[in-house]
Order: sequence, then structure tokens, then C-alpha cells
Amino acid sequence: MCQWCMKHGAGGKWYMNAKNYSNELADSLLAREYLTEQWRNFENIYIRKIMGFSSIDLGYKLQMPIIGKLLKWNAEKMIHSDSKNRKAVRGDGHFGQVIPLEDAKVILGNLAAEPIIENYCMCRWMQRGIKECCCINFGQLSGVIEKLPRFIPQNLQYKISREEAIERIEKHNKRGYIASVWFQPVPYINAICSCENPECGGMRLRSDFGLHTVYKSEYAIKVNPDKCQACGMCVQKCQFGSLKLVPSLKRVIVDPMKCWGCGICRHACKHDALEIVPRESIPGLRGIY
Amino acid sequence: MFPKKSPKVTIDYAKCGEHGKVDPRDCTKCMKACDPAIFIIHEPVGVEQDPIDPKQWRITAVWTSLCNKCLKCVEVCPEKAISVSWS
Ligand code: SF4
Ligand code: SF4
Ligand code: SF4
Repeated sequence: MCQWCMKHGAGGKWYMNAKNYSNELADSLLAREYLTEQWRNFENIYIRKIMGFSSIDLGYKLQMPIIGKLLKWNAEKMIHSDSKNRKAVRGDGHFGQVIPLEDAKVILGNLAAEPIIENYCMCRWMQRGIKECCCINFGQLSGVIEKLPRFIPQNLQYKISREEAIERIEKHNKRGYIASVWFQPVPYINAICSCENPECGGMRLRSDFGLHTVYKSEYAIKVNPDKCQACGMCVQKCQFGSLKLVPSLKRVIVDPMKCWGCGICRHACKHDALEIVPRESIPGLRGIY
Repeated sequence: MFPKKSPKVTIDYAKCGEHGKVDPRDCTKCMKACDPAIFIIHEPVGVEQDPIDPKQWRITAVWTSLCNKCLKCVEVCPEKAISVSWS
């Protein structure tokens, strides 16, 4: 369990706490106003200047002496902000965590507040110019996105039932898209995405610049050496380069520090050699999210 | 010591952008050609337009430190709007 579970998990994982999905919580956080402003300005988030700096050439800025450290400290503070005066246009308090398909199904089946919609992924649009309907949003966010035509799919039903949401997340996950759940703003939960790395704006900031916009999942992969047939199918599925086929060993090996615990590689294994285990059960990964 | 400068990737907005010949939303070829995905399509900041359905868009090279100087974006751009340079 990470620090967000301690704070908002009521004794369990933060995203399994029903309270974080409720309308009452959303109202108390003025979520509708926040989400409207955030989503209207979505593609501008990296362009806008924040305290004199935009994200343009962030890689260089973060390396600068003193300023780089200050920028990083400030960015982390904004990403995880739960203060009253957080700013929606810069996504203050908006961050998430990777989850395996099993957890995504529990959320969509039991916890997500209706209405549920599935709209074009804003990150893939913003970073690749691709419109793909694979973001499942719910609760007060649905009504906000519905009003923005650029995110609403043409010729495809976007208002979906719980059962349809479960079917769709399963389809995306099996295609190789990573499931993730999001605070928007913390601790209100209203989205389950199907991400690619680095096309996801959050994964981009985490994997390329080390900012904690997305946390690794509560799990990590474990290879069963007796079952692994060294076919290497799983290696192509991992978007984080965590798996490697070692021909002389006749099996796949894992780099645990690179594994985000998304569980996607399992879909490719025909020999039942991969399973996800709690992150905390692997000594070297304890507390590393 | 100052860090190594990132490559400079610029788009000529007179060719592609809110006042250009091409609306980048209809093309996005550079965004798809770039392996490290360094481009972002966005509304120009500070320009008043319909907040629900903005019509003016441009592309900015944002993650330039990740540019690997392959020049695929330059090759693929039908408007010859992109230039990449480094020192
Ligand atoms: S090795 Fe880890 S990060 Fe890679 S696909 Fe498997 S679970 Fe996901
Ligand atoms: S030169 Fe290559 S890596 Fe650099 S921006 Fe163009 S396509 Fe991307
Ligand atoms: S390839 Fe050229 S014309 Fe097409 S969107 Fe990019 S900059 Fe504009």
C-alpha cells in the first residue's frame, strides 16, 4: 500500500474505497467546476507557463542546477495537491495508478458511479493525433466530457452500462493497453484508462522525467521457471522493457525495478507461466511504487 | 555545469497552424512519425475561442530532450514546415 492508501484507503487500497467515488465527495470538492476547467484546457497543460516555466523542453530544465530541483519539487507538490486553491488548468491533484484487469473489473462492476461513458483518449490525441475510444469515465466527469465534441466518438455508442464497461476494459487490456485508475482531483475517482507508454501524458512524465504522475501497481510479475517454455511472446507485450528472453537459460527473466505490475504480459503467455503477486511480497520492491 | 542543450525542433506556423495553410488536426503526420512522440497538438494559449469546440490548433515540439535527430518529421511533413537543428 502506498501513501495514498494510508490517507484515502480506509484500511485498504485507495481505489477500493467506495467513498472516493461518491457524489457527496465530488460536490464537497467542487469537482464539476474543476473538471470543466481541466478538460476544456486539457491539451494546453504542457504549454502553459506555471510560475514562469512551461513543460517545453522539460528534460533540459530538470537538469539545470538548483532550478531543476526546485521545478521538480514544485511539480510533485502540484501533482499531489489536496489544498483548496488548486488549479484545474494545470491538473493539480490529478494522478493515478496502474491496476491489473482484475481490479479494473471490480471498480467498474461495483464502485464506479453512474453514468459511465467511453470517450476518445485525450492523451493519445494530444501526443499522437490519434482518436481512439478507450477511456472509461464516470460519475461527475461523464457530464463534463459529454459537452466537449472533440472527445465524443462518432458512430459509436459512448454511454455504456457496467457490463459494457467491463467488456470493453477486458478487450483493451487483452490488446495490450495498460489499465489505470485516476484521482481527478484527489481523492475523487472518476476514470479508468487504457494507456500506452509514452503516449499517456502521465506515464510520459513518470517514465521519462521521474515525476510521480502515475504510480506502479500494487503487484509485480513473477515468472514460473518450470512452466516457461521460452517462446518470448510476453516480451513483446511489455511496454516497459521489463522482460527479456535468455536463450541459454531457456526462460524469460524479469527486471523487477522496471515492472509496473500491469499484468498485460500474462495475456500473451500460453503456458500459464506468469502471475502477478503483491508488490509488498517481493522484498526489494517494498514501498517502491 | 549546464546540461546539454536539446535539439531545436520548430514548426513554421505560417505553414501549419492556426493561421497556416494546413489545419494540423487534418494532418498530424509528424506526431505519428516521431518515435519518441515529442509533439503535442494544442490550442494556442491566450487566444480567445469557443471553449466548447475550439477551432484553432497548432503543434509544438515539447519533449525536445528526447529527440533522437532522426529527421523523420522533416521528411514526412507535406508542408515542409518543420526544421530540426542541434549544435
Ligand atoms: S513485466 Fe510487468 S510491466 Fe511488463 S507487461 Fe508484465 S506486468 Fe506489465
Ligand atoms: S528528428 Fe526524429 S526524434 Fe526528432 S522530432 Fe523529428 S521525428 Fe522526432
Ligand atoms: S506534418 Fe507538417 S503539416 Fe502535418 S501536422 Fe506536422 S507540421 Fe503540420
